Amino acid sequence: MAAYDVIVIGAGPNGLAAAARLAKAGKKVVLLERGDGSGSLSSLREFHPGYRVPGILHDEGLTTRAVAAKLELEKHGLKFRRAPATYVAEKGGPGILLSADDKEAAASIGARSRHDGDSYLRYRAFLARIAPVFEAILGEGPPPLTPNGLGDLLDLGRRGLLAFKLDRKEIVELARVAPMCVADFLNEKFETPLLVEALAAPAVYSTWSGPWSAGSNTNLLLRECSGGEYVTGGPAALLAALGSAAKAAGAEVRTRAEVARIRLANGKAAGVTLASGETIDAPVVLSSADPKKTMLHLLEPGSLPISIEDEFRRLRARGSAAKVHLALSGPLELAGSPGKQHEAIRIGGGHVDDLERAFDAIKYRQFSPRPNLEISVPSVTDPSLAPAGHHVVSILASYAPYRLEGGWSDEARNALGEAVLGVLEEHAPGVRGKIVASEVLTPLDLEQQLALSGGQLHHGETALDQLLVLRPTASAARYKTNVPGLYLGGAGNHPGGGVRPTAGLLAAEAILKG
Amino acid sequence: MTKSYDAIVVGAGHNGLICAAYLAKAGRKVLVLERRHLVGGATITEEIYPGFKYTCCSYVVSLLRPWIIRDLELPKHGYEVLPLDSTFTPFPDGRYLMRDADPERNRRAIAAFSPRDAEVYKRFGQEMAELGRLVKPMIDDVAPDPVSRNPRELLRLARLAKGVRGQGDRWLVGNAKMMTMSAVDFLSEWFESERLIAPMSVSGIIGTFLGVRSPGTAYVLLHHYMGEIDGSYRAWGLPKGGTGAIAESIASSARHLGVEIRLEAPVDHLLLERGAARGVVLENGEEIRAKAVISGVDPHRTFLKLVGEKNLDPEIAQQVKRFKMRGSSGKVNLSLDGLPDFTCLPGYGPHLRGDITIAPSIDYLERAYDDAKYGAFSKKPFMDIVIPSLTDPTVAPPGKHTMSIFVQYAPYNLKEGAADWPNQREAFGDAVIDTLSEYAPNIKKHILHRQVLTPWDLEQIYGLTEGNIFHGELSLEQLAFLRPLAGWSRYKTPVDKLWMCGSGTHPGGGIMGAPGALCARTMLEKRAV
Repeated sequence: MAAYDVIVIGAGPNGLAAAARLAKAGKKVVLLERGDGSGSLSSLREFHPGYRVPGILHDEGLTTRAVAAKLELEKHGLKFRRAPATYVAEKGGPGILLSADDKEAAASIGARSRHDGDSYLRYRAFLARIAPVFEAILGEGPPPLTPNGLGDLLDLGRRGLLAFKLDRKEIVELARVAPMCVADFLNEKFETPLLVEALAAPAVYSTWSGPWSAGSNTNLLLRECSGGEYVTGGPAALLAALGSAAKAAGAEVRTRAEVARIRLANGKAAGVTLASGETIDAPVVLSSADPKKTMLHLLEPGSLPISIEDEFRRLRARGSAAKVHLALSGPLELAGSPGKQHEAIRIGGGHVDDLERAFDAIKYRQFSPRPNLEISVPSVTDPSLAPAGHHVVSILASYAPYRLEGGWSDEARNALGEAVLGVLEEHAPGVRGKIVASEVLTPLDLEQQLALSGGQLHHGETALDQLLVLRPTASAARYKTNVPGLYLGGAGNHPGGGVRPTAGLLAAEAILKG
Repeated sequence: MTKSYDAIVVGAGHNGLICAAYLAKAGRKVLVLERRHLVGGATITEEIYPGFKYTCCSYVVSLLRPWIIRDLELPKHGYEVLPLDSTFTPFPDGRYLMRDADPERNRRAIAAFSPRDAEVYKRFGQEMAELGRLVKPMIDDVAPDPVSRNPRELLRLARLAKGVRGQGDRWLVGNAKMMTMSAVDFLSEWFESERLIAPMSVSGIIGTFLGVRSPGTAYVLLHHYMGEIDGSYRAWGLPKGGTGAIAESIASSARHLGVEIRLEAPVDHLLLERGAARGVVLENGEEIRAKAVISGVDPHRTFLKLVGEKNLDPEIAQQVKRFKMRGSSGKVNLSLDGLPDFTCLPGYGPHLRGDITIAPSIDYLERAYDDAKYGAFSKKPFMDIVIPSLTDPTVAPPGKHTMSIFVQYAPYNLKEGAADWPNQREAFGDAVIDTLSEYAPNIKKHILHRQVLTPWDLEQIYGLTEGNIFHGELSLEQLAFLRPLAGWSRYKTPVDKLWMCGSGTHPGGGIMGAPGALCARTMLEKRAV
């Protein structure tokens, strides 16, 4: 008799959410975490004594209130706050302040182009109209691609009918714009190059595509239609609330318990073997590790039919972004916005083609000499992250390839760090003089330190053929794999990466339904 | 006395002629008006240099629908296609890859680069042909309308869905992936050698403003496995007498069916009365009336020039303007007094009679695309070359040859502006010849005459807006029920009595003929004429 009903692998937001949901439903759950609990993309990371960032990833406002409510996270200390305004830096200009309040943002945009200000409001209104429909159709996970049986057909029909909440014109518009490249989509709406680049950038972060790549607009729409509010305290606070919820529901959380193998018996999941040799039995295993790692490395080779194994081999998971953390002895001062401290900053070249050029580099196995920077300065709202008066700066730099020509070395890593600082310095003169310490994480570092295949921050590239009903693969898109008892519930599944526990929650619900 | 017609077709391109022929076959009185002195549009053969007949624009044929050939009895009117069945790819390091219709030869040729790929190659072809089965019915019928609430349309969709279900999950997933992946990513799932992937991937980018790594390019690969000549799969061919001979045969069939074709009769604008098309006004002021007008020209020209923006609903005008044209290719046509001698495979041989592809690596192709993205022609372009005179000696004097070089990329919008093309035309031609001479160093000394067609020239001479050879990009958001405008994919336009039958409508460009035939079919069904 197995000691547990379910084993959950990985204590990131998805693993914790799954454990919490399953335990609450009365399942006996053990959650196994490789490290000491600080090794996830969402954990508090002390990259230099006294200087911490609340997660390697920034909060991107993807956790929704509906998901938090299902997990009763607010009972466990989770607080939402308005997303900070993003300051779009501009060389030799005042930049644009993209406030979470649409009217404020439109006013900032309208100051340089009235057309764009008005267009921004229409754009946000379009998103506000489609977001609830997206949520209604996809909130329970992707629909069955190939319905089997009456239940699936009814499910498909019901979701199909939900689409009719939109009028015909809106559906057609959605069909038209979803497969577009984000540059075309935004260029139709806006005339300010700085704005187009800034709005396009999040659609391509940690993807192997540029703003001129077809389909990149789907990333933008999926992202803009999710959440919108930040978690107070960032990813680490979300992790804390989820941990508390999981423990309160009765899930057992074991750290320093690295899973070496998912064991099968008669073709079905039977438990896991830890790196220490210890075995733990359970008829159901849910992995929130990335799909390639789970299916190709944690399973005994040869456990999968060749066609399924091929699907996972073909899954593209090439990291394309680097992380840079800076400890500063004072605030990050931007030339275009003197005297102000921004928590969220976006630095590009000023034109969407600059973002594309940054992407071009990785095609030829180089990092961008002028990377695009998505910056978070969490110490602006949480001074406890750094010594008094000091600050921490967390930068997502795009693009840097997982496979660098000649390989990643200390010199190459330093050169990448220099490229990032070079761009930053153009907008924040004197920043170098304030640097107390810094850390550069290449995609290879991310793979090695965080067990992420390819250093892919989303556990799998977000491309049209790896989204929704095809994420991570057609056979595992509904969280259940073709190995009975084995489920996938990490960022590699719908709705994907970023800091949010949704995939884990949906995978847990798939287990409860099954 | 003014004659009156049931329908006037603007433009004697292959689609316009096919549309006219089908209407005449159904007993309608049809007039086709052509701006130039010859029929064909971009499906033409022209003697630009004495004694040498160039297939100036489109140069191979494969997708012309077999039922059109039968219905219009084209072989009776001179239609004949000569097979073009090999692809030769030279590499800069002195090696080459030659693929043809013989499976065993292919296996050996590919095995020189990768034994594994050699084994997979045949299975790949079979799988592609399977996948192509979904696309074929789609290009032989009007586009499905997935958002319709009309019961008849829903029934049609249900039937389509049932057909799709019947094919099984693997097939469905395969198609979903094809529609969304890049050619390189898709091919990399099958093959390991770049020497094979690079030349195979280029069929995904022809005529598009996309690179081989751009999502959405895998789908076009299917077209290579759907091409059929005389019912045999995967065949590409050269029309005897050049592509112009195809247009001539259609025109002959159309005339035989009673269609009147007037050359050098450029239409200036439509005759609009109370918002409906009642005929056309020629540039010389002549008015010709008809019950319906059918435009074979591209959507931009149709709506913004023939109809005129001031006569359009502003929302429609905006939709038309954002329909992307963006030509990306050019043509270089040569008269030669000798054949190219490839360093990697010297002398004369079957490799010269087929298709010659300059696509040596993925990075090479991608860099060519990068140049174009930022408004310059590719310094080292992708080239698809044929020597028509080797297959059809009638196009050149004895002992002499013609060479057709399709070149990508040449963006219409240069960073100096499209109007700068005349200044850059010869530099572009030089880049093409210089690149070719890296592989066949003797080429320069054999050139008797060179015609360079930039996207700007394609617009000026052939009326292709922005030089787009497909009358509008074949990107996902401009296909099927979205082509050319959302809600207007069934050949009818927002202007009453105005119809469209060109490549800008479903199922799109290439010498396929389906848009023209489907337009005629739809008009007859709706009793529009």
